Amino acid sequence: MVGTRLAKIIELAKVIRSKNAGPFEITFDIMFADAGIYDKVKNSGVITSKLIARLYNISHNEVLVCRPYDPAQAFKITIRRPTASGDLMESDVYGCQQHMPLTTIEVPWEE
Amino acid sequence: MDEIVGLAPSGSLGSGYNVESFNRALDANPDFIGQDAGSTDMGPTHLGDGVLFFPESSYRHDLSLMLNAAREREIPLLVGSCITAGTRGQLGQAVAMVKDLAREAGHSFKMAVIDAELDKDYLKKRLADGAFQSLGPEGELTPADIDRSSHIVAQMGVEPFIRALEAGADVIIAGRACDDVIFAALPVMKGFDKGLSLHMGKILECAGLSASPIDLQEPLIGRIRDDHFVVEPGNADLRCTTVSVASHSLYERTDPCIQPGPGGVNDLSETVFEQLDERSVKVSGSRFISDSVYKVKLEGAEVIGYRSIVMSGIRDAIMISQIDDILEEARERVRLRFGAVDDGEYHLDFHIYGKNAVMRMLEPETDHVPLEIGLLINVVAKTQDLANAVAMHARGTLGHTSYPGIITTAGNLAFPFSPFNVPVGPACRFSLYHLMPLDDPCECFPMEMITVGGA
Repeated sequence: MVGTRLAKIIELAKVIRSKNAGPFEITFDIMFADAGIYDKVKNSGVITSKLIARLYNISHNEVLVCRPYDPAQAFKITIRRPTASGDLMESDVYGCQQHMPLTTIEVPWEE
Repeated sequence: MDEIVGLAPSGSLGSGYNVESFNRALDANPDFIGQDAGSTDMGPTHLGDGVLFFPESSYRHDLSLMLNAAREREIPLLVGSCITAGTRGQLGQAVAMVKDLAREAGHSFKMAVIDAELDKDYLKKRLADGAFQSLGPEGELTPADIDRSSHIVAQMGVEPFIRALEAGADVIIAGRACDDVIFAALPVMKGFDKGLSLHMGKILECAGLSASPIDLQEPLIGRIRDDHFVVEPGNADLRCTTVSVASHSLYERTDPCIQPGPGGVNDLSETVFEQLDERSVKVSGSRFISDSVYKVKLEGAEVIGYRSIVMSGIRDAIMISQIDDILEEARERVRLRFGAVDDGEYHLDFHIYGKNAVMRMLEPETDHVPLEIGLLINVVAKTQDLANAVAMHARGTLGHTSYPGIITTAGNLAFPFSPFNVPVGPACRFSLYHLMPLDDPCECFPMEMITVGGA
């Protein structure tokens, strides 16, 4: 039987990570081991700057990059840091624990 | 020359590396050994205060093995971003270590030392010629920002390394350098494609982070040829896969396709990753596009005060249910004693581990009630004494305050060690992160050639 459900991205992706890209940005990579899965996620059009802004409760302008990258079967997302790395109010100097909201992304999935 | 083989012992000098894998990698007959020794990833204090990331003994350990291997094989050893932030003082520490190690091992060689710290007068003169483009800090850069910074470095490109190699350097110890150029310098000097050379450098600079399973302490081998390069781990039990190598190509970069560096951008939009055999990956199609004006990235940091911390734990559920109000009251008590934070004398921050300490402003789930809380009291003040006083006053207030429904009157905070208060020393902030145009790619990277030992 063919049906459409919402698939959680954490079931589809192999890597979901965050890290500083320099002291003023945090960059996220969502990577897929399977080209078919990557294509379906990409073609769904779900991952957009608008979605990222909503997930992190930041303004659209603070999402600097949000694009698929075919050679690595990956999505690249970069946001402006709320504080510069290590500045007052810092909580993650290296930026490697900011990725969890991305795991809640859901993609329409036809079986 | 059909190919050049580069060897990266580890992704970070001082982290240690698998010696067995390193020795195995040496059988690949590398033409050079390259090592990245710094980053901004560890935050602004290493640049602003000049403190090293690892203890000196860790750097000596790592340097010793690679120096001995390079001298035995008479191949160049290139180390960039010495050490941590690449300041003049840190560069001097690296040079002293290499001299010591050479004396102990009886090596003699020519060592090029390349400085990447910029003098403030030079920078202000440059700034007067035209504004620097900001890559982060708000507002236009002023001479006062430069004066306030304790150290300002520029990330060098391949050119200062090539100049040192052409001058016959056996060992190059360089201050702040763009990570990939350490590995791209020799290939570019020998006429290999710059886009491929830099991309290979990008993969090698973190060594085993491009391997599967991932391991920063595992050496990586890169072979650059006419129209591609191939990478493989030194450890026979590890693999490079198209996913692991493509993944690292994105790592810590703003944009996957356009990767800016000194003098231009590396364009990875047409890059192809192919599995060559079980353990190695072939990469082709990366292209370097030169900028019309050569620019380098500046990094500066300033001391903003002195930090003092107290770490404690809270298990009482009644207290945890009111933690935000209790902390607010503690802030008020601190305000009564030391004045308002707005006066600029101190900054008081509570990190409530268990409840939104890790993501803070970016955290979407804020209603969670934890079983226990790790409370970090984090103070930055104008003097170390004031920072300690504010931290201890906040601790004392929280430790013995009352709140509605309290059932314990003995104390509110569990301390994991004594003394409760830890003075941390200077607190810093990144003050410069800008692009500066250069007339000559080597102009702000002076080189000194030193004869080490009896050569």
